[in-house]
Amino acid sequence: MSLRTLKTTALAAVATLALAACGSGGGSADDTAGAAQPGENEIVIGSTNEPTSLQRFVGGSSGVSQTMTRNVYEPLVAIDVDGEIVPALAETWDISEDALTYTFHLREGVTFHDGTPFTSADAVWALTEIISDESVAARKSDLAVMDRITAVDEQTVEVVLSAPTRSLLFYLAGVTIVKDGDTEHTTENGTGPYELVEWAQGDYLTIAPYEEYWGDAPANDGVTFRFFTDTTALNNALLTGDLDLVIAEDSPDQLAQFEGNDAFTISEGSSTTKQIWAFNDRVAPFDDVRVRQGLYRAIDRESILEAVWAGRGEVVGSMVPPTDPWFVDVADTHAYDPESARQLLGEAGVEDLTITLDYVAGDTEETIAQLLQSDLADVGVTLELNPIDDATWYERIYTNHDFETTLMGHVNPRDMLWYANPDFYWGYDSAEVQQLVADSERAGSEEEQAELLSQANVLMAEEAASAWLYLEPQIRVAAAGVTGFPVDQVTESFYVADITRES
Amino acid sequence: MVRYVALRLGVLLASLVLASLVVFVILRLLPGDSAGVSLGVGTTTEQLEQLRRDLGTDQPVLTQYAQWVTGILGGDAGTSFVSRVPVADLIADRLSITVPLSLGAFVLSVLISVPVGVLAAVRRRSALGLAVSTLSQLGVAVPIFWVGVLLTWVFALRLGWLPSGGFPRAGWADPAAAVEALALPGITVAVAMSSVMVRYVRSATLDVLGQDYIRTARSLGYSRTQALARHGLRNGAVPVVAILGIELATSLLGAVVVEAVFALPGLGSLLLSSVLGRDLPVVQTLVLAITAVVLLVNFAIDLLQRWIDPRLRSSSVVGAA
Repeated sequence: MSLRTLKTTALAAVATLALAACGSGGGSADDTAGAAQPGENEIVIGSTNEPTSLQRFVGGSSGVSQTMTRNVYEPLVAIDVDGEIVPALAETWDISEDALTYTFHLREGVTFHDGTPFTSADAVWALTEIISDESVAARKSDLAVMDRITAVDEQTVEVVLSAPTRSLLFYLAGVTIVKDGDTEHTTENGTGPYELVEWAQGDYLTIAPYEEYWGDAPANDGVTFRFFTDTTALNNALLTGDLDLVIAEDSPDQLAQFEGNDAFTISEGSSTTKQIWAFNDRVAPFDDVRVRQGLYRAIDRESILEAVWAGRGEVVGSMVPPTDPWFVDVADTHAYDPESARQLLGEAGVEDLTITLDYVAGDTEETIAQLLQSDLADVGVTLELNPIDDATWYERIYTNHDFETTLMGHVNPRDMLWYANPDFYWGYDSAEVQQLVADSERAGSEEEQAELLSQANVLMAEEAASAWLYLEPQIRVAAAGVTGFPVDQVTESFYVADITRES
Repeated sequence: MVRYVALRLGVLLASLVLASLVVFVILRLLPGDSAGVSLGVGTTTEQLEQLRRDLGTDQPVLTQYAQWVTGILGGDAGTSFVSRVPVADLIADRLSITVPLSLGAFVLSVLISVPVGVLAAVRRRSALGLAVSTLSQLGVAVPIFWVGVLLTWVFALRLGWLPSGGFPRAGWADPAAAVEALALPGITVAVAMSSVMVRYVRSATLDVLGQDYIRTARSLGYSRTQALARHGLRNGAVPVVAILGIELATSLLGAVVVEAVFALPGLGSLLLSSVLGRDLPVVQTLVLAITAVVLLVNFAIDLLQRWIDPRLRSSSVVGAA
């Protein structure tokens, strides 16, 4: 390249920049920041999980729970950062001897963001609504056991169940209470420590402290959640000081730029996201327990976790993370053992097996799929990879059960109960597990419930109902001086009232 | 001319109707169900059916199409399946980002590529000509989002001159901040577009340079540049104007691509999230709107070409179309 060429190229570049600068009006880059002019102690949080709508009960959107539950809308009872059930709008509750009647004593002096007092009528309406015929709530079928919901007086609600349900309080923690009978939920009139200021779809959602909140005032002056579809853009915003906190990093590659940098702190907590290699247990050869066990043992989960998370997170052997009350360590039930895998597959009489893996395309899924493919090749099984998109996954696999194996991250806490439903997408059908789960709902105490579910858990692990690969770590990166955010993610809600920033 | 315009308008309308039908049917052939995506894991068949009734996706496809088209003609593009917000509101909100971004990038790319392309043609045997060819070749080959990532790294992360992404909450109430937010994405799209345009401008200019009237002008004592300026530009402009139409459409699509990289809440990110969420009313209306813009631009370009070059006016409609 001659000197003249270089000069011309440089000129072109300068001209381009000059044009851009003309438009900029001389402001510095710092005042743009998607979330411009934050208040004194207003926190800006980056997330890739935007609510698809602010309707509280539509299942697919964990984004609405993440931003709104406990921050803007409150349930009767809540799940705290340790996974324990704690009082929220109900200060106390009594459970009858036969475990069929729950009486909730509501907190006094609670008002909605529009100023009207919260009474038992609001709670009755919210609980009735979620199990109504028109409801499409994800928890509708779980909560359908609520037979009669009545207001005893202004401050008391009585719920009578058609069958004892140990999980009721846990389910109720997901039922948030809003004021009026607006079934489209466009008013967002909750009782929480924050009220909704604005949701600019595709961009940000801002909440500000509610002055008349019944509990302690938030430690910050308000929170803005900014939403990103591209994780590079998300991390760039943190790097340039536009964000105070990123809720979840989705790969270790992104962390390198924050490690060893005093301007940021990285926290690693535990999540409830289980990465599953699910078999369609209702079709051959996966209806043979030996095939499932053999395939599970052929997989080197340690190396998968290493490849995906660089050693963060943990290898699990079942659907149950350590934060669920019925956790038992079954990680080694089907430890990596290609020799035993070959033997089990041989006993089952499958040779030259070719199976298909449908997965929602993404970096993590791609890595896992390729590692599964090479591990399986070692034991003589061919894995054909079939990347698809979310909507296709939902229709083919979830609705029509038209698949052999699939990858899916299951985020919900306490979701092992789905293995007691033979109609669920993976089609695991064990009378014993179903009995144990049914018994656990009728258990006399939480200890007994945990004991029964632990047994079911061990059984499922032994039968390799699915191949559970690992539990994702919950990695958050914060600007230095930002504190008070939850480290673990044990519920869908991201409670922000304790977050502050040192100035 | 009136007859020509009327005929062209007829073709335009027919294309729009055809496009709307194709978009509508293809979206319904896609695997994946809107109701399913918005409900997620843990719901029952009965709930799915309930939501399909609510959304109207249980109706025959032709009925749904008729509802959509009559709605649009009446000024109502329907309601998003996902957020339950009117589609028109969703789109209107985001135009304030995508339109300035795409027009800005278009203007910038014209400002870059016309002088550079002409220069490259005039000096085609010099190192400059070679460099322009090589760079434009490279620019065509490199994906647009990658250009964005690179520019962000240099100008936002390393130098800190421009924001890395996002759009001011105040929007255009603070014009300086808004323009600043659009600078890097605009340059990104412009760079990608210029690479293509430079090549067209260069070859159009080379074409003109070989014409008899330039040779005549030269023989009268004009320099090559003078000859080009006096006689060449108007002639060279005809093919270039045709390309401008395509490029204007490209700038819209380019904006759609870079919005994710720069976390801009424009039409592109709306389109992307709506496709993934199978939010059909939003997708079909957006695609139709973009198609309409492209068709209209082409229509305008056609008229512009005929205005620049009187010779085209005598040719037949079929030939011109």
